[in-house]
Amino acid sequence: MVARIARIITQYRIIALSLIIASCSAEVSYSDPPKSSQLSDDLDFFETKIRPVLVKHCYECHSESSNELQGGLRVDTREGLRIGGDSGPAVVPGNAAQSLLLSAIRYQDLEMPPVAKLDDAAIANIQRWIETGAADPREGAAILPDSTPNIQKSSGFWSFQPIQVPAFPAVLNTSWPTSPIDTFILAKLESSGLGPAPPADKSELVRRVYFDLHGLPPTPDQVHSFVTNDAPDAYERLIDELLASPRYGERWGQHWLDVVRFAETEGFEYDRTIQGAWRFRDYVIRSFNDGKPIDAFITAQLAGDEMDSNQPQGLVASGFHRLGAVRRNAGNQEVAGSRNEVLTERTDIIGSAIMGLTVGCARCHNHKFDPISQADYYRLQAFFAASQDVDVPMVPESEKLVWEKANTAVQTQIDELKSQLATQSLDEQKLTRKKMDKLEKELPPALPSISTVRNQLEKETPIYVLRRGDFSLPGKRVAEGIPKVFSNDVEPLQIDRAKPRTALAQWLTSPKHPLTSRVFVNRIWLNHFSRALVATPNDFGLNGKLPSHPELLDYLADFFMRGGWQAKSLHRLILLSSTYRQSSQPISKEVGHSLDPDNALLWHYPLRRLSAEEIRDSMLIASGQINFAIGGPSVILPVDKQLVAQLYKPSQWEVTPEIGDRMRRSVYLFAKRNLRLPFMEVFDQPTLQTSCFGRQQSTHAPQALELLNGPMANQMAEAFAERLKHEVGSDVARQIDFAFEWTLGRLPTDGERGFAISFLEKGSTREFALALFNLNAFLYVR
Amino acid sequence: MNRTCFERRRMLGDSFCGFGSLALAAMLREKSLAESKSPLAPKLAHLPAKAKSVIFLFMAGGPSHLETFDPKPLLNTLNGQVRPTEFGDAKYQFVQKDARLLGTKRQFQRHGQSGIEVSDLFPNVSKMIDDIAVIRSCYGDMVVHSAAQYELLSGRVMPGFPSMGAWTIYGLGSESQSLPAYVVMPDPEGALEAGQPMYGNGFLPAAFQPTMFRPGERPVLNLELPAGVSLNERRRTMDLIRNLNESSLTSEDLEFAARLESYELAFKMQTEAPDVFDVTRESEETLRLYGVGTEPTDDYGRRCLLARRMVEQGVRFTVVVSGGGSGNTQWDAHGDIEENHCRMAAETDKPIAGLLIDLKRRGLLDTTLVVWGGEFGRSPEAQGGKGRDHHNLGFSMWMAGGGIRGGQVVGATDAIGLRAVESPYHFRDIHTTILNQLGLDQDLLIYPHLGRNERLTQLRGKVIHQIV
Repeated sequence: MVARIARIITQYRIIALSLIIASCSAEVSYSDPPKSSQLSDDLDFFETKIRPVLVKHCYECHSESSNELQGGLRVDTREGLRIGGDSGPAVVPGNAAQSLLLSAIRYQDLEMPPVAKLDDAAIANIQRWIETGAADPREGAAILPDSTPNIQKSSGFWSFQPIQVPAFPAVLNTSWPTSPIDTFILAKLESSGLGPAPPADKSELVRRVYFDLHGLPPTPDQVHSFVTNDAPDAYERLIDELLASPRYGERWGQHWLDVVRFAETEGFEYDRTIQGAWRFRDYVIRSFNDGKPIDAFITAQLAGDEMDSNQPQGLVASGFHRLGAVRRNAGNQEVAGSRNEVLTERTDIIGSAIMGLTVGCARCHNHKFDPISQADYYRLQAFFAASQDVDVPMVPESEKLVWEKANTAVQTQIDELKSQLATQSLDEQKLTRKKMDKLEKELPPALPSISTVRNQLEKETPIYVLRRGDFSLPGKRVAEGIPKVFSNDVEPLQIDRAKPRTALAQWLTSPKHPLTSRVFVNRIWLNHFSRALVATPNDFGLNGKLPSHPELLDYLADFFMRGGWQAKSLHRLILLSSTYRQSSQPISKEVGHSLDPDNALLWHYPLRRLSAEEIRDSMLIASGQINFAIGGPSVILPVDKQLVAQLYKPSQWEVTPEIGDRMRRSVYLFAKRNLRLPFMEVFDQPTLQTSCFGRQQSTHAPQALELLNGPMANQMAEAFAERLKHEVGSDVARQIDFAFEWTLGRLPTDGERGFAISFLEKGSTREFALALFNLNAFLYVR
Repeated sequence: MNRTCFERRRMLGDSFCGFGSLALAAMLREKSLAESKSPLAPKLAHLPAKAKSVIFLFMAGGPSHLETFDPKPLLNTLNGQVRPTEFGDAKYQFVQKDARLLGTKRQFQRHGQSGIEVSDLFPNVSKMIDDIAVIRSCYGDMVVHSAAQYELLSGRVMPGFPSMGAWTIYGLGSESQSLPAYVVMPDPEGALEAGQPMYGNGFLPAAFQPTMFRPGERPVLNLELPAGVSLNERRRTMDLIRNLNESSLTSEDLEFAARLESYELAFKMQTEAPDVFDVTRESEETLRLYGVGTEPTDDYGRRCLLARRMVEQGVRFTVVVSGGGSGNTQWDAHGDIEENHCRMAAETDKPIAGLLIDLKRRGLLDTTLVVWGGEFGRSPEAQGGKGRDHHNLGFSMWMAGGGIRGGQVVGATDAIGLRAVESPYHFRDIHTTILNQLGLDQDLLIYPHLGRNERLTQLRGKVIHQIV
């Protein structure tokens, strides 16, 4: 009896509460007294027939107390059921057909509870409850609070712990290590019953290090001067020379451009060209060449516009926030949704590129593996709330006005024609579109400008925790802040509201940040060895791979930060190690393969297929056509016109007129999201849509077709043949030597020379050149 | 077989033997599938498969369900009125809240033994209705082309994710040695809003990328020898490549075996594929069946016929696109639904019916899943008087062959075709059903990307059990 009274009192309290909250479902009107008693009956029904069933059969996996919330669904709050989990609303009051809860317990689509089906009476009760409005007094959010058991459990994971300066491990073979790196590598090899490969010979090493640092083969002279230099510091000096060359930034800049998914067009329908996007590419290349400290490099990209808004360099750097694909479309009625997409891009890339964490996974629900709550995610997003796209013209105001006038004059005509389309027949439309295309060509060329962002506090987007990541379902509002798991590591952030991203950068580049430096040194390691210490470079979380050499990773991170975040010092450290200087030919392949088939422990230097850019650039070098001009607007190469016709606006593919310009390095080729060069595509160029931490090395038939029959390889072979005739003359033996040296970096063996001579007795030099481009020894570096 | 073709084949055949030594060539041919290094070597399905191949008839721009497979008499009754509030809200791309409902001028009739109603836009396809399962309750998340096309093709509303074709060949490999495993035949009218990334391999290795066919007799890039190079000459070049590669074999020969095989496959493609592309070898009767040689069906008919020839050769996934270029040369009937849909249907009805008939009489329909549909349907409301806007809350798609039980209708929209109300099926359910017919399990067909095991269906879809 007492219990019953207590329950009634509770119910009244709930009714009162519901009245205050008021936004509750329209199916039940709280102001109408007769219905109120109806409600009380409904609530009674819920308490007696529904709640016990939910508690008994569902809470284990679908409530705040669940070890791991399944399907993002909470059934222990009203909101949780109505908002639903990953699959959508579980309960739609008054509509049994649309309530996933019902179809799941009926075992129609999902089968819930998985252990055993509920009895028919329980199912019928739930159906009746939904049909009569699903009265439910249980307050609370649809999503879990920050401090779920999952988050507490995973915060002890290695990558969230401070970087420890490790002690050097003991090794048996004390003569092999020449660098601290080697002791870490050797200790693991020895404890696994393996040993390092012998040192690479000088010709192997010189080709390796040129491709590694420049993405280019050494010329015959460069090979010669290294191979014949017996000075003890010859190798060290070669490395310094290579690091000082502008070719270095062109190679290592590309790695970073992959990570930040650099492209010069917006993607999606219009795939508009981002004016001046190439300036960001140049900024990256220059930063690597100038040895800009990486913490400053990251800071400038995150907050360059906040630091000194009149300095073009900073504005170009924060063009970083403009690199994500942007969906634009006519008649957009979802402005808030579009803004949300932009902010999502801006937030997620911080996770993948800088922190090496899949924070994007916490957009719709608390992270399933890592200690990142959904609120953490939106706090991170809030750093970008005031950031707005701006294109800053790099001309005086007067010139800008002239341009605007000229532009408006043509644009008005285009808009006028466009408005006529709706009422025209198909033929008329085609004609109108032609006129529009013609007019578009009369538009004045875009003003030189910087594409970047700036904070506009008056237009700041309020950031809410979005249920299921859906912008139309805002939860509580949040301010900028770092994920809670990190809050013990650093001083509380001082956030200047006018410069929120500066604070974000300060936190990310703090020497106490456990991830940023580890993630960056791991990327450097990856690109020297084709395999990273953490084999999932964009995911240092619980679902990523554990480091193969955790102490080495920490050693490198510590070395890197203590040396002022200098990428070049790190390269030097790695390249001078015995580990790097091993041969690609192991002592015992069989033993190695059986103990460590993936060569994770580095018992030999790994073989690597050249990237698409390296293959093209190598052909340019061999054929003598390469143009080493640095920077500036990108080059557009001719492509099969049927492919161009598949662009929304084929006029966007305006081929660079100067032949000499078309011979520039591949890093300067136009990066268009909706049309990639077939040559680059078959050789695993990334999509330019999402972050790419490392190139794939696939092998498939279209690569062979591209290298045998494709226009790129054939044009290069043609030019190479011309060069052979021109520079060597008609002496076949000399032609062969010359060609081998310029493609494979060495003279032919007697056997190879024999094959080449007999081929050239009847075959063309052009086909000979093409054959060399198809050789494994050309396409791979060891 | 015409003479020059025959000769080309013979000579290239010889040259292939010359490429590897005879013994090596024989070894490569006889090598069991399991030993193949090719990423496209056939793989076992996860489940018993009903379909071996898929042909996706992609009606780009968004065909109206209201004019095709989903008759709504009430819509005609309410013509010119504002949508009654009981149907709920909808967001469109252009059409605003005060828009008026638009009845259809199309006539619906029952067809076949199943008596399914199909509109008079499809006099030929309707004769095949007993082989077709119409899904009248499809829905997607996006109401604009680009994002909706990404979702239809790749399950995500943004670019950068593998398409269903790429997932399919990643899961099953290819049965064809001489043709690409996954082919897209775009409409020569031009581009679509989502562009080529929608068909792409996303983060899957490049081996799983689609081959984009070009119009004309040479659909595949790089299959022809470069101008001025004779077959004989090229054969010697191939020999030189082999000799030089073999003379510097090192411990990585294992890795290089895959490259050797890729050259072998490239050669087979070069020799055998051009014959497959040549549809003129088909009988007069077959050409007529697809509407090849007569307008307005010639182009789409040719491509449908080519799709059948692809299936015969073991190509896994073929997309035949209807619609391209500016909106009105797609199914994107903003301006005039009648003019647009009559034209688009006239171009495709006969070819599609021809394809179904031809597959069936050759015994191929049982193992070929044919899917028809676009990225969304069209609004019950009029746009600008005669047109219809985009509409993603309820629309129709259909499937035939590949183990689908035809002659039935699944799901329903409400009385004005606004919203899928009975058994709604999301694109992920369509994808799950396609995978299921191919013997692929959405939870096993995964690939790690940026810290997650990604799958085609992201949030997991359900199989449409009623039709499989």
